[in-house]
Amino acid sequence: MENPEKKPNTRGIWDWFDPRGRNVGGWGFIINRISAIGLTVYLYLHLVMLGKLAQGPEAYDSFIAFAKQPLILFGEMLVIIGGIYHGLNGVRIALNSFGVGVSTQKQLLYGVLGLTVIGTLIFGWRMLLAH
Amino acid sequence: MSQYHAIVIGAGFTGVAIAHDLALRGFRVTVVERGPIANGTSGRTHGLLHSGARYAVNDQESAIECIQENQILRLIVPDAIEPNGGLFIAVDESDLEYREKFIQGCEECKIPIRELTPKEALRIEPNLNPKLLTAFTVPDGTFDPLRLALAFAATAKSNGAVFHLYTDVVDLLTDGQGNIKGVKAWNRAADKRFEIEGDIVVNATGAWVGQITSMAGIRVPIAPTPGVMVAYDKRLTQRAINRLNKPGDGDIVLPQRRMMVVGTTSFSIEDPDYVPVLPDHVALMIERGSELIPALRQTKERGAYMATRPLIGSGAPGRSISRTFKAYDHKETDNVEGLVTITGGKATTLRLMAEKTVDLVCKKLGVNVPCTTAETPLISYRKFFIN
Amino acid sequence: MSEEKWTVNFVVYRKKGEGEPHYQTFTLEVSPDEYVIDGVERIWAFHDRSLVFAHACHHSTCGACGMRVNGVEKLTCITRIRDVTTNGGTLRIEPLRNFPVISDLVVDMSRLYVGMDKVHAPAVHPLSMAPLEGGGIKPPRDVPMDDGKEYLRLADCIECGLCISACPIAGTAEDYLGPAVLAAAQLQGLNRAPDLTAIVDCVDGVWRCHSAYECTAVCPSNVDPGWRIMDLRRQVLAQRIRRWFGGA
Repeated sequence: MENPEKKPNTRGIWDWFDPRGRNVGGWGFIINRISAIGLTVYLYLHLVMLGKLAQGPEAYDSFIAFAKQPLILFGEMLVIIGGIYHGLNGVRIALNSFGVGVSTQKQLLYGVLGLTVIGTLIFGWRMLLAH
Repeated sequence: MSQYHAIVIGAGFTGVAIAHDLALRGFRVTVVERGPIANGTSGRTHGLLHSGARYAVNDQESAIECIQENQILRLIVPDAIEPNGGLFIAVDESDLEYREKFIQGCEECKIPIRELTPKEALRIEPNLNPKLLTAFTVPDGTFDPLRLALAFAATAKSNGAVFHLYTDVVDLLTDGQGNIKGVKAWNRAADKRFEIEGDIVVNATGAWVGQITSMAGIRVPIAPTPGVMVAYDKRLTQRAINRLNKPGDGDIVLPQRRMMVVGTTSFSIEDPDYVPVLPDHVALMIERGSELIPALRQTKERGAYMATRPLIGSGAPGRSISRTFKAYDHKETDNVEGLVTITGGKATTLRLMAEKTVDLVCKKLGVNVPCTTAETPLISYRKFFIN
Repeated sequence: MSEEKWTVNFVVYRKKGEGEPHYQTFTLEVSPDEYVIDGVERIWAFHDRSLVFAHACHHSTCGACGMRVNGVEKLTCITRIRDVTTNGGTLRIEPLRNFPVISDLVVDMSRLYVGMDKVHAPAVHPLSMAPLEGGGIKPPRDVPMDDGKEYLRLADCIECGLCISACPIAGTAEDYLGPAVLAAAQLQGLNRAPDLTAIVDCVDGVWRCHSAYECTAVCPSNVDPGWRIMDLRRQVLAQRIRRWFGGA
């Protein structure tokens, strides 16, 4: 059967982020990647912010005023959602990698998602109260 | 001494076994198949590796072929077989009446059987009909249809055979005098048309042999005879279970992986290219199958499909025709040189069908090499796809 | 099986040679209890003989008919039309992902076979190696056969390739052994087959998996490759620890 050298039928890394036709495990995978990218971006911004500290009190204060805008608060909510999810799912995956909890991995994922929602609500409430 | 080039049309059981035998005997082999390996009748067999006991009473020629080939296949291709044996069970008086003939027939055909009491039978297979009246062990087995075919194809390929899959034979090439010298092919995958010339064309298309021979203006008495198969979602026995009676509908239930497969029925058609599943045939399988294994009624259907047997001869459909095979040298039957047709037969006798066909091809071409396929273990089926 | 008739649009991926892939729509009358492969086969038989698709056994033992149906990996011979669409609905039929497309719905699965061959995956094994669960109906008794030998059964894995198609990593890492191959290695066990350790304990082996578990979700044959890959990691680590402490 002839078969000239052909590229596999795949969209490569874009397939990582395509949730169509995927099951809950696939969603977990996708959100893990997105939250990882998000947290990395946040880390960079955080360092930028800390850099402002070195520029003296006025620069820092003006940054803090800027940070109280609703858009930034929304961004911080995303960080919380992403951070809780990525952390908890990371623990789940690490445990799985040692063979622990693999037969219950789906239930654990639902648990991670549930805890993420709860954590988000708690932090969100506290943030709203504080502002 | 130059090598003869044989073109084999069809990569079902017969085609791949012939390609393997031809390659071992030193031929250059090209196989042309319009689909993937075993996509016709061969892939759809329920997978019973016959002990021959089913034919021991009314078709002893088939029965003897089966028991001999059964033992050979266990040796040369263990990778595709669940060798767990089988049972013939009697569940009513009519079945019991068959008992004497069955014992005698198996003895005549040298098929080793052993009678069990119902209690013994239920001990080894607890899901059988508890009302069973008697049972016989037989050396049946279950095989994976595709992997059996692939093992032959892989071995043939490793010995130089070339496979053109997804390639239709649209016509036969003739010389000026109506003799066959090759085929005209359409590779549907690449959408390319081309020609292959050879010293002999072997028509191994099973139920479709008539379509190929008509390209040379020849008719063969092939009666495509489909039947239903139904797969159920649980493995309820370890052994193949047969009804102790003359061959009828729905009297074979066998395990394969985590399923049970029940077959089959029998009716005539003209064109085997597509046979729709008939719901009343499926219903019959549940009825008859649960007479052997009651738990089938509560088991979910996993798949249902039709498979078309190549039966030789016209007239009454199905069961009265012999299940043995026949090779036609068209020089003798129709004065057309260069074409041989092989059809009929059962999956279990694929190697023997190939031996007889290749013996005929060798005789025609004056090649004096004996068959060695009975002693040659086949290589792993996976190697077919590894280049 | 009901006598109901549905009208379903089959939108089928077509590709020949180096041509551009495109979709072709065939409207069929089907029974909802029929299987997707029946529709595809009818398209070939009655509508377009140039259609190229793979199939053999029609009862989920050969693994040939894997395709994506509305984007989800399915074994089309056991996928009822009723379960994937409605009357008047659409079925998008595409070849599996992460394998090269040969033509239309047929892909080249050599990477799977090369892998299975590499780990000498058993095609047939004793029942004790992969026992069947019970499940309400009396399970087949594990009573030895006459000659004292164990029962053998064909392996669960039918090498259909659905797991590799569903795996997001298999799309970006062409040399990744893949779920089926790793599952076959796990089944044998690194204790019984120590030569497999070197094959699976590498960057394109057991460590490539990122726990999407899509493989387990689409496997039609009870293999649960996701679990098996993690168990294989446990086996690899157990071996490393033993070696570190001066063991075998």
